[in-house]
Amino acid sequence: MADRFTRREFLKRAAIGVATAGLATELSGLDPEALEGSAEAASGPTIAVASKKDPAGLVRAAVEAVGGMRSFVKKGDTVLVKPNMGWARRPEQAATTNPEVVAEIVRLCRQAGAREVKVVDHAVDRPDSLLLRMTGIADAAKKAGARVAMASSPALYEKVSLRRGKALTSAEVMRDLLRADVFINVPIAKVHNSTVLTLGIKNLLGIIWDRGAFHRSTSLDQAMVDLATQIRPHLTILDAVRILLTNGPKGPGRTDDRKIVVAGTDMVAVDAYGASIFGMKASQIGHVRLAGASGLGESDLRRIQIRHV
Amino acid sequence: MYRRLRSARGFDSAQPRPTPSAVEGRRVSQLVFLAGFVLLFALAADPLILPVPVDLYLRADPLLALSAMVSLRRIVPELLWYALPITLVSLLLGRVFCGWICPMGTTIDLCERVFKMRGTVAASPQPRQAALAKSKTPTAAAKRHRLKFYLLIALIVTMLIPSAHRSNQELGLTQTVGLSAVYLLDPIALLTRTFTWVALPTAQWAAVLSQDTVGGWIDSDFVRRHGLLDRGLALAQTGLDAVARPAFFRLGLVALLVFGGVIALSRYERRFWCRNLCPLGALLGLLGKISPFRLAVSEKCNHCLRCVNECKVGAITDDPKQYRGPECIQCYSCLAVCPQQAISLTAGHEAAARDDGLQLDRRRVLAAMGAGLAAVAIPKSSLSAMRSSATASVLKLSSFRLIRPPGSLTESAFVTACVRCGECMKACMTNTLQPAVGEGGLEALGTPVVVPRVGACAQSCTLCGQVCPTRAIEPFTVEEKNHLYIGTASVDRSTCIAWASGRECVMCDEACSYDAISQDVSESGVLRPIVDERTCVGCGMCEWICPVEPLGAVRVNSSGDRRHLRREEQKLLRDQVEREKQKGSPYQGSESPYASAG
Repeated sequence: MADRFTRREFLKRAAIGVATAGLATELSGLDPEALEGSAEAASGPTIAVASKKDPAGLVRAAVEAVGGMRSFVKKGDTVLVKPNMGWARRPEQAATTNPEVVAEIVRLCRQAGAREVKVVDHAVDRPDSLLLRMTGIADAAKKAGARVAMASSPALYEKVSLRRGKALTSAEVMRDLLRADVFINVPIAKVHNSTVLTLGIKNLLGIIWDRGAFHRSTSLDQAMVDLATQIRPHLTILDAVRILLTNGPKGPGRTDDRKIVVAGTDMVAVDAYGASIFGMKASQIGHVRLAGASGLGESDLRRIQIRHV
Repeated sequence: MYRRLRSARGFDSAQPRPTPSAVEGRRVSQLVFLAGFVLLFALAADPLILPVPVDLYLRADPLLALSAMVSLRRIVPELLWYALPITLVSLLLGRVFCGWICPMGTTIDLCERVFKMRGTVAASPQPRQAALAKSKTPTAAAKRHRLKFYLLIALIVTMLIPSAHRSNQELGLTQTVGLSAVYLLDPIALLTRTFTWVALPTAQWAAVLSQDTVGGWIDSDFVRRHGLLDRGLALAQTGLDAVARPAFFRLGLVALLVFGGVIALSRYERRFWCRNLCPLGALLGLLGKISPFRLAVSEKCNHCLRCVNECKVGAITDDPKQYRGPECIQCYSCLAVCPQQAISLTAGHEAAARDDGLQLDRRRVLAAMGAGLAAVAIPKSSLSAMRSSATASVLKLSSFRLIRPPGSLTESAFVTACVRCGECMKACMTNTLQPAVGEGGLEALGTPVVVPRVGACAQSCTLCGQVCPTRAIEPFTVEEKNHLYIGTASVDRSTCIAWASGRECVMCDEACSYDAISQDVSESGVLRPIVDERTCVGCGMCEWICPVEPLGAVRVNSSGDRRHLRREEQKLLRDQVEREKQKGSPYQGSESPYASAG
């Protein structure tokens, strides 16, 4: 426990971190590039970091760098794409996943021969019709050839036991996801008032029916890791095209255009890099640290092979 | 001046029974207007796409307009304009609305047809002399007819008596308001309410049920194995674009019973509701007294009394040459059934003399007025009305859970103006608008209240203000929702996960649309929610999302309700809060993780 920050200390550091992460990245000493080990030395999982392109280009480059969509999606597969469309906010407010990012993922899946691509979320906010419209995701993804839905009925969920769960022993998971051949997790990078940041692991809270059970459990961080241990996305694509820096997760808050998309099969590694975008270490994010410690994935940036494209 | 409705066909034609064109036309009209009613009802949802108001039928109802203006002592030009057409038509043709337009009347007609209800006390053909003798004294049926006029009188008295106080924000003074009980009996309000509280949830449940069952079938292994899963049917499985959560309304059963009762009365007499109870019918019948048009019976009449039997509303006396003008709904069934073709619609002084008129019993009129006066006791059922101060009528002391939709009038005016049509609840995107059960006392039964545990008042939705026919909810914009305070949330620290058990949660802060929840950091580093009551508008998002079951540890109460202030004043207060925040208030202190980032 000695190495654990006190909350107050953490908040101070976090504040400094975010303050410096913006324009003064190079001077801060928390530069993402400086944190990561050289690609040769790293022996862990590979993630791709695309930057300085339009959103669709970022997705294409990042996915290509982790093997291309065809290595995940086979002809005739059913793909479930889980973006964050859980808030009644417009895309530019950066509380929900960039619609162009989602649309490009759908297109790549279709090109790879997916029989069906479903874009589904279980929103916190209501009403569904408004969320689908405001976030711009329904329009964009439908045009790209996906079916878009909010899974807002308990009938659409199935109970899954979390065998290795420490805080939770079961959760109701979207049936569509359980039956899909491929599951692609598409979070947006935001600050979060409770979990510090919301990245890939946190985004999984949108695939379960009773979110409240996670909050009622002994530890929200542990419960999220319990879920992630059981439900593992085949691919995690982190949208950091525009990130939300304050008043997350719903905003409206201060946003920053980073023009980054991170992709990888190791969700924890993607989250670890996601933390560095905010000038933080994975160890500062409770659930990412726990996920790394429990062997769910690699949370140590030095061991992650990062391909910048 | 003498005109014949079916002159084209000619009464002297060789046909034994001429095609009843007027009746056919009336049936088409009835179905078209009923379809229009259902369509507008269905379209009272986001987004409002029609150029006409979706509450058109309610707005066009002269009785509702009369009530909304008389009881609130205000003139609303919009209400006048919309109510004008039916008023004019009624002046010209009496209760033609009841026979040709009223969706309630059509519904009753349809139900009579479906359930084969012809009325057990329908007049039977009687010997001519007996019929003539009887026509001098009013029959029991004729006495029943008058009930609706007494009801109308009672309703108008309730509108007139000063039963509560209202602070008139426009005029800056306190004035009296009447009480409107018109919602109890107005047919359009009653039907819309039944549609919202009963028909809508039923239809949605049916949709979901078929979705679940059919969807389950589609997704079975058998279907999968045989590749039967096609895109069209798969739509049903995920519930794409389909109704996922049916709406539900608390008083649905009550509405169903009332509506069922109205329909069941037709077993006793056809259109029992229309002929004996409907105050709108009474009002339109009275307007029609000056109509120049009358049904005239020619000398060809052989007293077969078929018209008497056929008349849906019992308007024709046992002497078929006479009928009660204010009763006739201009359905023209009598024209169609008359084997002698002796009946025609005429205009002129001579025909007008045949109108039987209405002879109200003076004692009953007085009794009706007395009943109207006695109704003043109703609003005294809540504590708020019993407090005599001017502000008491806007502060609702009856219940801390009386949370009105944004833009609502002050409480006593709201209760008076609201006709419980349920249109706002139909349009509400989150189902949070529910009929009040006990929140506002007896006088507020069925009026809309925000019930956050069902859903929150969505930040970017303004539908209820747009669809309210009587302007009980005044229209408002999304920007105004920022300062139209409907209540205030407060955290119950004894049950809140973070406060009581020291675990991480803050779902309420996550979900808050107005950034009104901030965090207190405990000794052990747990974030604990605090509501900034200056920014909280009471939308209920926090209460809706709170994982503490069953009530939620953060709850909205009506203490923050600012309806007693004008909108500009509410905005000024909100702007003041913003300025304070800019200056650096305790709510944006060093505890905020990203405060120093800006």
